[in-house]
Amino acid sequence: MVPQGQSSSLQRLHHVEKRIVLLVELAGAVMEELGNSQGTLTDAVGGLCREFMLSVKEIKSAYGYRPFEKCDYSARTANEICCKKLEYVNEKMDAMQLSIEQSTNEV
Amino acid sequence: MAAMDEDVRLDLDKLPIKRLEAIDEAGNEHYPPDTSSEEQRLAAIRRIDFSWVIERDAKKAKKAAEETAQQAWPWQGLMESLQQAQQELTVVLDLISTVEANDAVTVATASKPKSTPNEVLVDMAVSAATKLQQLRHLGRYFKQSAKTMEQQFQKEARFYGSLIRLQQNWKVKRQRGTGPGSETFMFDVIDTSQLDTAAMPRFSSMALIPIDQDSLGTLSVQVPQKSCRFLSLQFRGDGANGVENYACKLNGVSSTSSAEEIDTLEDDDVNKSVKHAHSILRNIHKSIFEEQVFDMVIRETFVQSEGINVTGMRDDFLQLAIGQESLLCLSLTDSGHDSESEMAGHEEHANSEDAANLVLATTNGKQEPLKRDASGFLNPKSLEICLLHMFHENILKKVREKYRNIVRYPSPAQAAADDCGLLSHFCMTVAHRIFSNKVHLELESVVSRVPYLHLRSLPTWHSRTSSWSLCLRVPQPILASDRPTNPSDKDEPKYKSRSQFNTKIILKDGQISLLGEGSPSIAGSLTRKPSDGYLINSYNCDLEDLPTMLLQQVASQVINWLHEEAVVLGMNVTRDFLCLYFDLDQGETLGLVAHVDPDDAYGCISWYLTIDHPVEDGKMSTDNPEFEKRRFLGYLSLEVLYSTLMDLINLCSTGVHR
Repeated sequence: MVPQGQSSSLQRLHHVEKRIVLLVELAGAVMEELGNSQGTLTDAVGGLCREFMLSVKEIKSAYGYRPFEKCDYSARTANEICCKKLEYVNEKMDAMQLSIEQSTNEV
Repeated sequence: MAAMDEDVRLDLDKLPIKRLEAIDEAGNEHYPPDTSSEEQRLAAIRRIDFSWVIERDAKKAKKAAEETAQQAWPWQGLMESLQQAQQELTVVLDLISTVEANDAVTVATASKPKSTPNEVLVDMAVSAATKLQQLRHLGRYFKQSAKTMEQQFQKEARFYGSLIRLQQNWKVKRQRGTGPGSETFMFDVIDTSQLDTAAMPRFSSMALIPIDQDSLGTLSVQVPQKSCRFLSLQFRGDGANGVENYACKLNGVSSTSSAEEIDTLEDDDVNKSVKHAHSILRNIHKSIFEEQVFDMVIRETFVQSEGINVTGMRDDFLQLAIGQESLLCLSLTDSGHDSESEMAGHEEHANSEDAANLVLATTNGKQEPLKRDASGFLNPKSLEICLLHMFHENILKKVREKYRNIVRYPSPAQAAADDCGLLSHFCMTVAHRIFSNKVHLELESVVSRVPYLHLRSLPTWHSRTSSWSLCLRVPQPILASDRPTNPSDKDEPKYKSRSQFNTKIILKDGQISLLGEGSPSIAGSLTRKPSDGYLINSYNCDLEDLPTMLLQQVASQVINWLHEEAVVLGMNVTRDFLCLYFDLDQGETLGLVAHVDPDDAYGCISWYLTIDHPVEDGKMSTDNPEFEKRRFLGYLSLEVLYSTLMDLINLCSTGVHR
């Protein structure tokens, strides 16, 4: 499992990025609305602007993430050696099982 | 007055008497005020009439004007307007030339003509339309950038998500390039705290592994060009019992996975790429460590130590002689196998050969005990792991000491390693293992022919010590529950008859020692505690003598047991090392003799019955050979022996109950 603090900060960043995209789309919509040759619906523009400001507030409240380095290569090597030992023991157990089966079959 | 030719005119002034000016009603006479002399003079001057001069001038002027008027053109007006036009034109030309010469021109205020309302509206409409167009353009621009940003964010989210997952296990280094977006990331695989500086240059080429991302943001790690090398340990001439290379479990080539999935951006891709990158990094890390170990091994060979016997060396290969017979080869090899053949090899090598050997040795007891080459029994994989483990422990210990300046009390295994150096410890371990296998074979061959013996290996937690226990299980007597107990011993546990006799075989580096439980000690019989009651017979022996000594020990234990049982049953018995003598009623002595023969194919311990008649004084039993009988009983099981004992109760004279 990914540790909680790390994944949520990445998720927060992703969330903020999505809000930014939404924000820019809103801005585009506002511009389009204003540029509408039929005339501008002020209500629509007002609504869009409100959403815009809310998003800006949200983005300001989200804080940045910082990657953390946590690694211990000597422990990793020790674990690799343990892995090898386990694989070896597994082999031996399989061989034992095989010989037991063979002996019971013979009986 | 001018003298003229014409008639002179004379004006007669009135007498300068005061003339009456006015008479009013009252009759008063008003005379004009008296004038001053100046005024009289002026008045006099005024009286002079110059009118005729003025007339004369006026006449002359009139005449001249009349003359000129008669001489004027009829185009006078035209000329004047042309002249005015010319003046205007010159002004305009001057203006133009000044403007052409780029001189500053100040225009006198020229008021714009007031535009008509139509013009105003048209202007507004044009500007409004321009603004609308610009707004629309802006709107399109925003939407476009939103889309691009979204793609960019998605791509980066994939990349950084994968990077964070990998960053939990691997160090990431960042290098800032020139310009935006040219930051490159790299994985740093070396733990600088562990390596000595001397070894650094060799490994630094593999240290930093660049990270790439493709157009979708999927993270990928370049497979290094120099392929990874891993340690492999082999016994010379052991090609068939091949070295298992668990290295490099790269599945396929990385290029197969990149091209297809352009349409679907699923989590599976990310997982796959992360796992792939992780396995590559793992392999590189392992390879660096194993090369480091090889380096350290080579360096240890330069120091002359006990047990190290180098017979061959190359830059990636080391050959050591272990004992007289075995050659150990340590080499750095690439994982040159394909994934398929390697996986196939993995399944084949389920140690079936070893298992088959074991089965043969234990079940076919009647066959010739297999004298195989002991090194064939020894799995090189386990030795490889042992080597890596030892060196890693050493590295860790050095790191700890370096950082904490603490001397830790090492475990006995580590102390042994420290005394003589790692490689010599390892070589001695290998030698010990080989010898230990030989001992084990001998033990097995003995145990397989004595049915009431059980062999057990004991763990020793030391790589140069092995230990076995030979367990002699004796059948429980029927009368066990009726054993008389001393009433004063109620608080103590009941005396139980022995159910097993143990013999321990300890092997240290090639030195065999036997520890066998023997006859009950005097102290034990006093305290009645079975745990500390038995003498331990302790021997050292060679491999050749081992079976004999073992069997003798076992046989003496059987005799012990029979002796105890007989004593409990009240029989009059005496024991010798391998004999049990029953005193019979008639004074005869019945002997039950154990005979050990390690080379006997049917069984190692056989039994004889001897009868020894009492002799008259002076005669030795050996003089009458016909009275001494020695009957071969065979390879008896313990139950049979016990029942024999029971049968002999009747024959034996009853002794004193103990």
